Amino acid sequence: MNENPYQPINAEIVDIVEESPTIKTFVIVPENKFKFETGQFVELTLPGEGEAPFTPSSSPKQTDRMDISIMKAGRVTGLLHECRKGQKVGIRGPYGKGYPIDSFAGKEVLIVGGGVGLAPIRSLFLTLVDRIQDFKSVVCRFGARAPEDLIYKESLFGEWPKLDGVDMKLTVDTGGNGWSGNVGVVTTIVKADDVSVKNAVAVICGPPIMMKFATKQALEYGFRPEDIYLSMEKNMSCGIGKCGHCMLGKYYVCKDGPVFTYEQIRKYPKIWE
Amino acid sequence: MKNLKPLFDAIAEEMTLYVPTRLGEYYSFSRYDPSDATEAVFNNIRVSAPVKEFLFPMREVASTFGGQAPSEQKIKPFAVFGLKNCDLRGIKVLDCVFAEAEFLDPSYVARRDKMFIISGDCFDPAETCFCNMVGGRPFADEGFDLNLSKVKGGFLVQAGSDRGSRFVKENGRMFSDVPSGAAAERDENRKQAQGRLDEINAEYLLDNPINEIVEDCYDSPLFEEEAAGCVECQGCTRVCPTCHCFYLYDTKQKDYFGKMKMWDSCMRCDYATVAGGQNPHKILGDRSRHRLMHKFVYFLERYGIEMCVGCGRCVEGCAGGSEVRQLLKKLNEELKGKKQAKAAR
Repeated sequence: MNENPYQPINAEIVDIVEESPTIKTFVIVPENKFKFETGQFVELTLPGEGEAPFTPSSSPKQTDRMDISIMKAGRVTGLLHECRKGQKVGIRGPYGKGYPIDSFAGKEVLIVGGGVGLAPIRSLFLTLVDRIQDFKSVVCRFGARAPEDLIYKESLFGEWPKLDGVDMKLTVDTGGNGWSGNVGVVTTIVKADDVSVKNAVAVICGPPIMMKFATKQALEYGFRPEDIYLSMEKNMSCGIGKCGHCMLGKYYVCKDGPVFTYEQIRKYPKIWE
Repeated sequence: MKNLKPLFDAIAEEMTLYVPTRLGEYYSFSRYDPSDATEAVFNNIRVSAPVKEFLFPMREVASTFGGQAPSEQKIKPFAVFGLKNCDLRGIKVLDCVFAEAEFLDPSYVARRDKMFIISGDCFDPAETCFCNMVGGRPFADEGFDLNLSKVKGGFLVQAGSDRGSRFVKENGRMFSDVPSGAAAERDENRKQAQGRLDEINAEYLLDNPINEIVEDCYDSPLFEEEAAGCVECQGCTRVCPTCHCFYLYDTKQKDYFGKMKMWDSCMRCDYATVAGGQNPHKILGDRSRHRLMHKFVYFLERYGIEMCVGCGRCVEGCAGGSEVRQLLKKLNEELKGKKQAKAAR
């Protein structure tokens, strides 16, 4: 581990994929091999401009390069969207606790994702399918605002749904553009019998409003709060539980999360704000 | 020891020494100049500026990136005189955060390592002091290299570390044996200061532990009401010896990029706002609630000590006339009411 936790390592953007009108995936090659666990995040520095937290969307197996899908949402992400191949960047991390994959063994894994929330989910998904025999099934329910907002289209409409042990359904809030699939928010495609809740976990990642309702639905379906895994979004700055910005109750989202069970955080008010 | 000057001079020979100087009714820190004839001051209470400035500067370079970065600045030994027990307890809080084994903050640890601490007993607590309400006392048992207690005709000096003992040994000529009765006098002075604190804070006596009061009154409208006078100057968090929030920002220098670390404040409106625009602390009352929850509940749960040392700087420094003791007292009454209502049922 780097002695100075505020020191990024050098990296370079080697490829950029336009996923949607607001989301691009940046393929980043760090100067040294970079290990992380799925669900952990990194701080990506655009030198001289700023830094922002992102969860890599690639498989942790791949340590020589990582994919980071970024939605244009603020100042730093706006500047990143203007970057071209060859741009030098910095990476700090990995930080926090990711998904406890081993504890999912033998269970059905329901993954509910929305919008850019598919970024951490892609990393999780790739990790799960890599050892798919360890899980009873992987049930994916993904949504986006409109067909053009779905990211990783090639995988979503190509290889992923065909994989053994994977059950995948997609939806969009508003149809159009020749969309023939389900129209409605993501909770409209999550059904009570998608998994047997007694032996399943739910992983939810997306915009706060979607997470709020997907969590509510999971509870109604009988999921225990400790079996619902949430990827919380807060203003993570230092990444090491010191600067204070990402506090969620007593937790530092950067250090104790970003993945929490609903049980851990349910007692705190305004978790979805 | 009779006078402070020989002590100051001896320390200043070895390292930079900061001492309290009077600033009207307050104190501020100045660099000690041995040639300066001004009288050495033994402050009755803590200096107005928080001691964190010495360990966690308002702004510093956290890391550099690319190009020709300047070589790291070497931290030299320095000493601070006139710290009080509340200051030492404040340093303990900062140690929990910045010297946490998992992620050491390198510049904090370097400064902490080089800091020589000379504390002193409080002998005349101010109206704003309330260390006694948060488990503190107006004198220190630990956390110093040397501690001074004022007695008739001089000072009683106690070493609290190896470094302190070594200093006493090496500078034996300035110390004499403890005169009979001096220790008893010190104990009496300490008792008096404690008694004074009890008087000052008599009107704020609480019926429950503070963490319980704050946590159980989480939904209280008092946070919002008490914040009504707040002008969002963030002064309370700046002068607080334990507030340690900071933000990292990136700069372009001529030959390199720098990542800066600068004090931030949870009272700032966009403190917790994320890129998407969500803000869990939109309303001022939310922020003042979070500040108290962090101080009295969350920090305690995480590190086992409270994050308030009762130094009263936030009371002294508040531009809006807010008073944390008053808020705690009101929350206490609210909780008392709740408990009584529950018992009646």
